[in-house]
Amino acid sequence: MSTTGFNDFAQRFAESRTAVISLLISLVFVACALFAPLMSPTDPYDLTQLQLSDALKPAGSTRMLPGEEVRANIRFQGGTASVEPASPAQTRQSITAESCGANCLGVGVAPEGTKLASLQIRNLPAGASVEGGKKHIVQPWWTVDNPEDGRVRIVSNSQLPENFTVLAIAKSLDRETDFVFRLGTDGFGRDMLSAILYGIRISVFVGLVAAGAAMVLGTGFGLLAAWRGGVTDAIIMRAVDFMLGLPALLVGLAILAILGNGVSKVVLAIVIVQWSYYARTARSFAISELGKEYVEAARCLRLSPTRIMLRHVLPNCMPQIIVLFTLNIAAAISLESSLSFLGVGLPLTRPSLGMLIASGYEFIFSHKYWISIYPGVVLLVMIVAMNLLGDRLRDLNNPRLDR
Amino acid sequence: MNEMIFEAKDLSRSFTVGHRVFGDLANRFMGDRPPTVLRAVDNVSLTLREGETLGVVGESGCGKSTLARMIAGILPVSSGERHFRGEPYDSLLARKRDALKIQMVFQDPLSSLNPRLRVGEIVGEAAVLHGLVPRSRVKEYVIDILARVGLPADSLGRYPHQFSGGQRQRIGIARSLAVKPDMLICDEAVAALDVSVQAQIINLLMDIRRDSGLAMIFISHDLSVIRHLCDRVAVMYLGRVVELAETEQLFASPAHPYTRMLLDGMPKISLERRKFMPIKGEIPSPLSPPSGCHFHPRCPIATENCRRTRPELREIASGQVHACLNVEAI
Ligand SMILES: Nc1ncnc2c1ncn2[C@@H]1O[C@H](COP(=O)(O)OP(=O)(O)O)[C@@H](O)[C@H]1O
Ligand code: SF4
Ligand SMILES: [Mg+2]
Repeated sequence: MSTTGFNDFAQRFAESRTAVISLLISLVFVACALFAPLMSPTDPYDLTQLQLSDALKPAGSTRMLPGEEVRANIRFQGGTASVEPASPAQTRQSITAESCGANCLGVGVAPEGTKLASLQIRNLPAGASVEGGKKHIVQPWWTVDNPEDGRVRIVSNSQLPENFTVLAIAKSLDRETDFVFRLGTDGFGRDMLSAILYGIRISVFVGLVAAGAAMVLGTGFGLLAAWRGGVTDAIIMRAVDFMLGLPALLVGLAILAILGNGVSKVVLAIVIVQWSYYARTARSFAISELGKEYVEAARCLRLSPTRIMLRHVLPNCMPQIIVLFTLNIAAAISLESSLSFLGVGLPLTRPSLGMLIASGYEFIFSHKYWISIYPGVVLLVMIVAMNLLGDRLRDLNNPRLDR
Repeated sequence: MNEMIFEAKDLSRSFTVGHRVFGDLANRFMGDRPPTVLRAVDNVSLTLREGETLGVVGESGCGKSTLARMIAGILPVSSGERHFRGEPYDSLLARKRDALKIQMVFQDPLSSLNPRLRVGEIVGEAAVLHGLVPRSRVKEYVIDILARVGLPADSLGRYPHQFSGGQRQRIGIARSLAVKPDMLICDEAVAALDVSVQAQIINLLMDIRRDSGLAMIFISHDLSVIRHLCDRVAVMYLGRVVELAETEQLFASPAHPYTRMLLDGMPKISLERRKFMPIKGEIPSPLSPPSGCHFHPRCPIATENCRRTRPELREIASGQVHACLNVEAI
């Protein structure tokens, strides 16, 4: 296309505000897809970063660091206590122990006044107990929840033995971090914003690759049908009619049911569903181009049929095929999402938008709406924008709507 | 006399009109519908000598373009034989470089140029692909040819829609010349142009013919153009050649009644180019042409015999060849 032709086209395109906005939105989505790793606050595929304590948090909540656990063996020997830290060594707190009078032993954490979630004392000598503690049903373990000042007292009515050893386990409170889950978290504690950005990446990637492969394949068949005519044409076009007669989702489901799921299989399923659209369009426009005199001129110049089809006819059919491509990217994305939603699409570890919607579905009745709604809205906006864009391109290409 | 460059013997071409499958079905279920076969060209024989220009004239729809495409080797024949310098087309067309010797200029200056290609590629593509010129020198080669047809060198990088009708037709001519043809078929090459532009293009074609000694088949429905350009003229009516004669002779003493009517409709003295005067009677549908002599419904001297007998081409004393049963009778 010449530059004047392109400027003219751009100008006519820009006459529709909707189309311009759709184009911008589509570009934003493409940017999201390209730069998801740079834009997203966390890596949703890194399962080691996930904490169940973060699961199902609404938008705007902060990430909590789980409390630490400190263990120490406390050995009593002739009235004095010595503390031997057990694992882990690197902690903020350490366990202290001191006598608090006859038959009384205080156990606490340093620094003083630290708030604890619980302090557990194990293996007390017979007759001894922990003030305010609950005993484990079976084990000789006493647990004090939220001990005051972070310390507990071991007391005994009878004389405490000369030598004994207890194990103290202190659990500190969860700590708040300044990391905010802007769109909440899903059932695995995954940051929804990151998951959506990566989901866009996957959906756009699958859409582009699948629609692109379908375009190449379908256009090839369409050109072949147009050029050969006769039996070849009849066979290809009956196959096209057959495919067009079947509902896309059903075909996709059937194919994935046979092949199993995975990115490449979803792409294959979409290609099988979509090639027929391109074949039909390419054939009809190629036939009308083949009737023009420049094709006869090319034949008279004894160019090979392949060259005539690819160098002369195809470029003249390209505008219509590009329009179809734009519309079909949106269709491919929505088909992929539907398949993933139905559980036959992409694997759970690398969720697409449809997968995210599906994974939030089980929580939607417990008012954890955000897991499904946010990816759903994103998907909706993306598909609507791409459809409006494709519609505009189609209108611009339709000579009957030319003024 | 020069050597023969092209010979056609009994060329015919039929088209099946409408969708074949449904046409057959409809025939089967609805009984006696006539077969939808259209004989666009019916047993036409022609010869062309080296350097000669043969005119083909006839009303729109009489099969001129179909004939031209068969001669150019871009449309298969239904029956008949084509020879180029004594070689049958089947073997000629298999050797692409030799088949290039036959080229064609088309009627519609816009649709005959690929809108997505620049003039440089339109003109140079085939020459490069067939090895007539190395890719590295194609630019100068094309500029040279553009100069021959009167186009500036900077046309090279432009697209067809940036040119006027006459310039586009020059591009079409340049495209043919670029592969060094020996025979050029011009199918109504000037019909779509303004009258003033027509003269320029005709002069260009005459210059080219003078410079390179091309043999030409010049198809037109404009008798004055034909008279101006051609050595011999074939007159076609509904797919058949009805008269074939030297230009001088044809215009001086037309033999076939159809030719006479054509010439009667032509202004006598001036060289002003004119289209046909309408001839009395409708042009019959080529789908169901009249029996016997196709011309009989419009012929002033038709007899009963004309309805039944198909007239064959025959030579009369003057050396003219025509297909009329009754001409001697006048
Ligand atoms: N591809 C085709 N299919 C069907 N009919 C055709 C085709 N090409 C030409 N015809 C018919 O053949 C007849 C002759 O056409 P054409 O050779 O184009 O005539 P002309 O060039 O003298 O106007 C016309 O009636 C036309 O409708
Ligand atoms: S054959 Fe008969 S109908 Fe045909 S041109 Fe001659 S006289 Fe007329
Ligand atoms: Mg024609």
